[in-house]
Amino acid sequence: MHVYIYDDYLNNSRYNKIINRIEIRLTDLGLNGKIIRLSGIKNIKGAIQNEIKLGSKTFIAVGNNQTVNKIIGAIINSDIYSDFQKKTLLGIIPVGSDNSIAASFGIKNEEEACNILLARRVEEIDLGLVAGHYFLNQAVIQSSGTVLELNGYSLEVSDRGEVKIINLLSDKNETIKSNPHDGLLDVFIKTGKKNESFLKTKTIKIFNAKHKLIIDNIIEIETPTELSVMKNKINAIVGKNRMFE
Amino acid sequence: MFSKDNKLEKFKDAETIIGSSIKVKGNFQGQGDIVIEGFLEGSLKTLASVFIGNQAKIAANIEAKDAIVNGEVHGNIKAKNYLAIGNTAKIFGDLQYGEISIEKGAVINGQLLMLSEDHKKNEKLKDEKIENSVEK
Repeated sequence: MHVYIYDDYLNNSRYNKIINRIEIRLTDLGLNGKIIRLSGIKNIKGAIQNEIKLGSKTFIAVGNNQTVNKIIGAIINSDIYSDFQKKTLLGIIPVGSDNSIAASFGIKNEEEACNILLARRVEEIDLGLVAGHYFLNQAVIQSSGTVLELNGYSLEVSDRGEVKIINLLSDKNETIKSNPHDGLLDVFIKTGKKNESFLKTKTIKIFNAKHKLIIDNIIEIETPTELSVMKNKINAIVGKNRMFE
Repeated sequence: MFSKDNKLEKFKDAETIIGSSIKVKGNFQGQGDIVIEGFLEGSLKTLASVFIGNQAKIAANIEAKDAIVNGEVHGNIKAKNYLAIGNTAKIFGDLQYGEISIEKGAVINGQLLMLSEDHKKNEKLKDEKIENSVEK
């Protein structure tokens, strides 16, 4: 059975029309299922764990990046997830802004999302982890004053720009290729048009006294902190126009 | 990977690229091609190729299969297969190589030693063992 998890902000009346449209489309496609509204529950983990126990296999985040990350955190941290990992699927129906994860999955809008759920194309995807938070796309920090510590060596960035730790690419125009199945994070440092650095790593420590690390455009994290990656941890339902092989 | 004029042909294919605004300290090890345009202090080792750009400043011993040097290196360089030195290169250290090419204008302050055929064979066997263990 499908479980649709609606984020808090969808209670706003301006999303009523979109939600109605999604529900009608899902009914037409025979994909209707149980709806859980995050505004009505305090314990997401408990609610999801309960659904897994009851036999639910597909969890669909209806909302934005934050919704997806909340649900991933709740699924992964469930005590019983490891037993069901290969059977539990994650889908996304993007609503509103901040939907780079959906874009990475090749999902442009809510209508396309419904069709993608029906097609059920599944990919195993790595999951980034930093300070107890999971992330699918990337972690970003200002480059000036940033020190990165990797296996046996450190990198100091002097110029202004951006350091991105990428798990899953969210921008098609980016000059690098990132593989979300390789069990590695891609470190991409851009301090000018022609000044780009790139390397791959399993873990990385970040230090910056002035700036915070931002994951998936949502959560700010103080440094020093360590990032790592878990290989093929999530089974995601993706579109054919996804930004990875 | 390298063209005749000591420029990278497939810049994007490199496993690691260190830009000119980056300073690396420590023991840098890789399996694939490495491009250094910035600063490096420590050591640099890869099973594949190393490209040192003309803005790069290196204070490290370098060990690679192939190496192409256009920048400043304070340290020894060991290229088991091929070592190419561009006209902007300044090297202060000893060089070991299978084959070498040096452009007019390059500065080399150190000893040059061509690796023997036996040494090359032994190194090749060592590399194959490492590659196999990495694959496993």
